[in-house]
Amino acid sequence: MVAQLSVVGTRAPRVDGVQKVTGAARYAADILLPGMLYGKIKRSPHPHARVLRVDGSRARALSGVKAVLTIDDVPRVLHAGAPAPRILNHIKDQYIFDTKVRFVGDGLAAVAAASEEIAEQALDLIAVEYELLPAVFDAEEAMQPGAPLVHETDRNLVVPPIVIQIGDIEQGFAEADYIVEEVYTTGRPAPTYMEPNACVAQFDNAGNLIVWASTQGPFMVRGILAEVLGIPVSKVRVICEHMGGGFGAKQDIYQHEFICALLAQRTGRPVKMEYTREECFLAGKTRHPVKVTLKQGFTRDGRLTARQMRYVANGGAYCSHSPGITEVGCWDATSLFRCENFDIRGYAVYTNNPVAGAFRGYGAVQSLFALNCQMDGIARTLGIDPVDFMLQNVVGEGDLVSAGHRLHANALEACLRRGAEEIGWYERHLRPRQDPSGIVKRGWGVGVEMHSSGASPFIKEQSNAILKMNEDGTVHLLTGVADLGTGALTVMAQIAAETLGIPYASVRVTAGDTDVTPFDIGAYASRTTFVGGGAVAKAAADLRTQLLALAAEKLGASADALEVRDGVVFVSRDPGRALPVRDVVKGEGGVPGRSLMSRATGEPDVAHSFAAHFAEVDVDTETGQVKVIRVVAVHEVGKAINPMGVEGQIEGGLQQGIGHTLTEDLIVDPKTGRTLNANLVDYKMLTSLDMPATKVVILELAPDPGGPFGAKGVAEDPLLAIGPAIANAVADAIGVRIREYPITPEKVLRALRAQQEQL
Amino acid sequence: MSKHIVHVQVNGEPYELAVEPNRTLLDILRNDIGLTGTKRGCDVGDCGACTVLLTLPGETRGRPVNSCLVLGVEADGAQIRTVEGLAIQTPDGPRLHPLQAKFLEHGAAQCGFCTPGMLMSAVALLEVNPHPTADEVRFAIAGNLCRCTGYVKIVDAVLAASGDESAHPAGGA
Repeated sequence: MVAQLSVVGTRAPRVDGVQKVTGAARYAADILLPGMLYGKIKRSPHPHARVLRVDGSRARALSGVKAVLTIDDVPRVLHAGAPAPRILNHIKDQYIFDTKVRFVGDGLAAVAAASEEIAEQALDLIAVEYELLPAVFDAEEAMQPGAPLVHETDRNLVVPPIVIQIGDIEQGFAEADYIVEEVYTTGRPAPTYMEPNACVAQFDNAGNLIVWASTQGPFMVRGILAEVLGIPVSKVRVICEHMGGGFGAKQDIYQHEFICALLAQRTGRPVKMEYTREECFLAGKTRHPVKVTLKQGFTRDGRLTARQMRYVANGGAYCSHSPGITEVGCWDATSLFRCENFDIRGYAVYTNNPVAGAFRGYGAVQSLFALNCQMDGIARTLGIDPVDFMLQNVVGEGDLVSAGHRLHANALEACLRRGAEEIGWYERHLRPRQDPSGIVKRGWGVGVEMHSSGASPFIKEQSNAILKMNEDGTVHLLTGVADLGTGALTVMAQIAAETLGIPYASVRVTAGDTDVTPFDIGAYASRTTFVGGGAVAKAAADLRTQLLALAAEKLGASADALEVRDGVVFVSRDPGRALPVRDVVKGEGGVPGRSLMSRATGEPDVAHSFAAHFAEVDVDTETGQVKVIRVVAVHEVGKAINPMGVEGQIEGGLQQGIGHTLTEDLIVDPKTGRTLNANLVDYKMLTSLDMPATKVVILELAPDPGGPFGAKGVAEDPLLAIGPAIANAVADAIGVRIREYPITPEKVLRALRAQQEQL
Repeated sequence: MSKHIVHVQVNGEPYELAVEPNRTLLDILRNDIGLTGTKRGCDVGDCGACTVLLTLPGETRGRPVNSCLVLGVEADGAQIRTVEGLAIQTPDGPRLHPLQAKFLEHGAAQCGFCTPGMLMSAVALLEVNPHPTADEVRFAIAGNLCRCTGYVKIVDAVLAASGDESAHPAGGA
């Protein structure tokens, strides 16, 4: 490893920053093509119905309408909504249009017209005859015999139950001095990326399809478009120059991506489709509402003897990531706090709700909420400080954690200790616990988490990188990784520059074009720095070897004796014998220099990142309002390739995590299946005025040998510990625990009332 | 629908446009003038991604508006500033407005979709309040939603730019 780092570890500005601050960055909806049409989708107003007849004749007759697509006009190919190229457990359960609609917002027809307004008018002219079917919205109800079936599966289960049995659960409970069993439920937060889903499709006259899409997985979109539309992969090109966030949800294929291509094919003209904000809520993806029943046995001295969990995930109308999040949610309950006896069951359930998919924290948000809060409660029962109790129980080096991995590079204890120090945890009791009126109560809480970098073993990892050295010593990096806003491409450039010993500004990154870049499975699972960065580091190391071999000839020294730094190759023991990189590769006397190129694949095993979050909250006992005053977030990331980017991930993750804990919930009317708050005023995410003071601490104590410069993932971690930290702080403040996200004023007041009635 | 002739100045450039009365300023900026830096995030004034500075005839200072809530015909005679008008074009590339430079330096743009609107709200703030407090910055951008940054680095960047005199009208920006 390079002893002295000059690019890795710096707060390098984004490679695409100038485009972003000048408005020059092109997002999918910014593509304007001559003759372009606008496409729109007709969506179901019913949560469950058979589609008996769709009549597009009046829409077709409207002036300006160029095409109408119904079920008869589209290929009928069963496919998966989450077709990650190498995913192991996706279920094919959807068609472009089907004979049934399964949630309010399910698309059943589409139009292309000369303008967006005409397209919208045309939708109203499409006549649909439905046969209404009974619908089911609650996951537990959906599992009962006789419940309406969303698809033809046993008890509405997307996949057979996930069962994890380790040790002897009965023995574990028999050894316990105490047993606690509680139910935790979570809401339905939406990723609410600022850029609505959008795509533009165009066929050239050789039959090649070009799609500009806002996607976390351009190769996934390419593969599934090819498969369903019956076009060879080589004739589909997916481009995503810039995207405005995705947070997991944009790793699915969306209905409009097929439809846009089909409308372009049908009309022979480019077609643009943009979701309205309402469509993003209805037909985007949400987090899974989960009911977690957690039962643990523990001894008087605070040792956990048994952990039993039942995890019921409300998956909505189609599979998407339901099996994946259930599997991760269940396996993550085997980690974090040491225990030897487990009985864990997970159920991914179809209902007639909007589709739940992948969202930062992927199933773990829900199980770690239950686990952390129950640990806090057990600590209080035993009269042990919650931080001390967690320190006593967190998993350590070599312990079995999620999906059979043994933990290496562990830093859970360090995160807890550092966070406690930063927030003054052990001095908290010296501070006032309420305002002078006694109405506003203050509390402190802690949550801890660990999360894997990469999706192995659930998805087989793969990222690739190609490096080309130009004749002036600069480098072109072709990477398949997608940058959904995270700064991934900046990190790739830093890794390449550092490994090669050239300035950051000498690396130019090309990404987001399936015709140009090598394959990548997509940007998700906190994997991009770890896996994609690993591929770049390997390719750059190869290119460096080639460069030094060439320099050795020119400098008359052995390659082993050379170093390269800041774009200059020199003899280690005689730095005066040096040659700028550009002179190593330049041509001479009309003869081109040697062309240096390299490629590499990253397929590492899993690593874990860690965090402890501490929250200080005020609870207004008259209004029920919870206000987060201060957050300390300590994260162990192995190596922060770009600390500014890591901080940005954590700070943004806190906004989302505080949101799902306190305010964010897409509410579906349990009678009609309609969403009641599909807009950015009634769906309440935090504004600049709502954010607490935050202190982010980055630790680099446990670098992972599989990651570039020891780096691990960070994207999802910030969402996992903040919720329990706040929930535990609320319990600390008011003496009553709320086990239901989001912790709204109504729930706080109800809990306070129940507490008073008991007194 | 019959069209109306509308005259606007966008980033100093005059335009004469024929627009239907139902079309928004946002739509016209993006699709007629081709300035796609201004983003469409919700169409109903909730997200702030389409914020531009609008100076109507008789007004002396541009005020931040959601361009999705302004009809094109209402903007007749107005001067409009968008994100594309912030940097000064030079033969060596764009010379960034101090707010843009600080956004870049502080990592205030992640996905970048809220950035154009966020920048325009910040420009408007600094033009009336050259040295705001952190709370004043948070208030000024409260109508601009961001899902990536938790607003931390955006507030940092605006405060950093406020220390830079060239970010203010007196400094010639």
